[in-house]
Amino acid sequence: MSLVARFRCPVCGATGELALGPEMLEEARRAGAARAVAACPRGHTVVLTLDAYGAVRSAVPALAAESSRCEVTDRAPSFLRGKLQALVEKGAATEEDALLLEKAKEARWIVC
Amino acid sequence: MLKTLIDNWGMLRVMSHFMKSIGGVKGLKLFSQYDRYYTAEAVKAALACGASCERPGNDFQRLLFDIAKRRLGRCPPPEVERPREPMPALMREYFEMVEDVVVFRACELASKPVRDVIPEEEARALYQALVSADFYKAFRVSLYLGTGAVRWGRVLLIGAGTQEPLDFLKACELAGAKCEVAAMEVDEVVYRDLARLAERRGFKAYLGWDSLEGFDGAVAQNVLHWAFDPLDVLVRARRHASRLLVSQGVIEDSGIGFVLTYELGAVRLLSWREVEALAKQAGWMLERRYAKYPDYIAVYTRREQRR
Repeated sequence: MSLVARFRCPVCGATGELALGPEMLEEARRAGAARAVAACPRGHTVVLTLDAYGAVRSAVPALAAESSRCEVTDRAPSFLRGKLQALVEKGAATEEDALLLEKAKEARWIVC
Repeated sequence: MLKTLIDNWGMLRVMSHFMKSIGGVKGLKLFSQYDRYYTAEAVKAALACGASCERPGNDFQRLLFDIAKRRLGRCPPPEVERPREPMPALMREYFEMVEDVVVFRACELASKPVRDVIPEEEARALYQALVSADFYKAFRVSLYLGTGAVRWGRVLLIGAGTQEPLDFLKACELAGAKCEVAAMEVDEVVYRDLARLAERRGFKAYLGWDSLEGFDGAVAQNVLHWAFDPLDVLVRARRHASRLLVSQGVIEDSGIGFVLTYELGAVRLLSWREVEALAKQAGWMLERRYAKYPDYIAVYTRREQRR
């Protein structure tokens, strides 16, 4: 069984996918629902609400942070661009994302 | 398929959530097939740029061609078709990274020093992207829960990097276990980030082995291939802890991962038999082996404890 949540982007209608780790499902099981941030194939950042079975209960567009004047450069590896774009628009929600954002700036994958 | 099932039975049983998310035994076989495919693609890219299997011109070529010989039987490699079955999402995340960082850069890496192709800052950013990727986080949380390491008491994370402590704490939270975690790092730059995390999350961080105390258990999660002397790591671990969880990606079924980490600074490849031999040589006694490959997973106890 592959645990993938599929969602329709509320901005452009494209179908996106998000890989679900066991800890996210566990959190949804415990709390009744879990939140996740995903990027649609066209780069829009979406906030998902997931239930304990991994089903998407809602998908709403994330608002760009007002102060963000950063952008992802061509130097960023392609596998990471969606994630970096989401971080630039939404900001880092976790400690690992904050560190990735910091390292991405040092590597000039993101310029501000 | 049966051999894969037998060799990884423990992992399939105790890490069932994670294993389901990558497709179980079938997923492990698919992982091996994609690993072979991407290994062949990387070798082809290097050979197309003038590299030679007989006379590798640099360390990158030597490592890649060595892996090709072990995984594909020969170099130049036979034609390996891309597997028809699509990958589960977690696996796709890993192989997209492999494609981007290894295959697409193989030509350049075959002719230039690795730091000319991937500068230090970029290597550190790629390292952070790798260790904080969803597949890796899911694997580690499942590993710590499944092997019961979260209930060992005071645990030392050896060569912890920046993500392992967060994942260990996450596993503790999910298990409802009160963990006392300490993280050690030998790389000074990584240690600086680790120390900041430790302050925020309330665990201890150590730079190097010298000031370490005693622990109930230690974890060496994908550490040995970064070490110049992996035996020394295991010997030192034995001085500080009475139990050891070893989780190490090995050459059987996962060769291309070594090329990926080599580009970020790792120094060697290992087979599961080598890891087991090193652990025994360091004075550890095998308590339980969960998996042989693509990730060797085992718990050891300090030898004199059983006497």
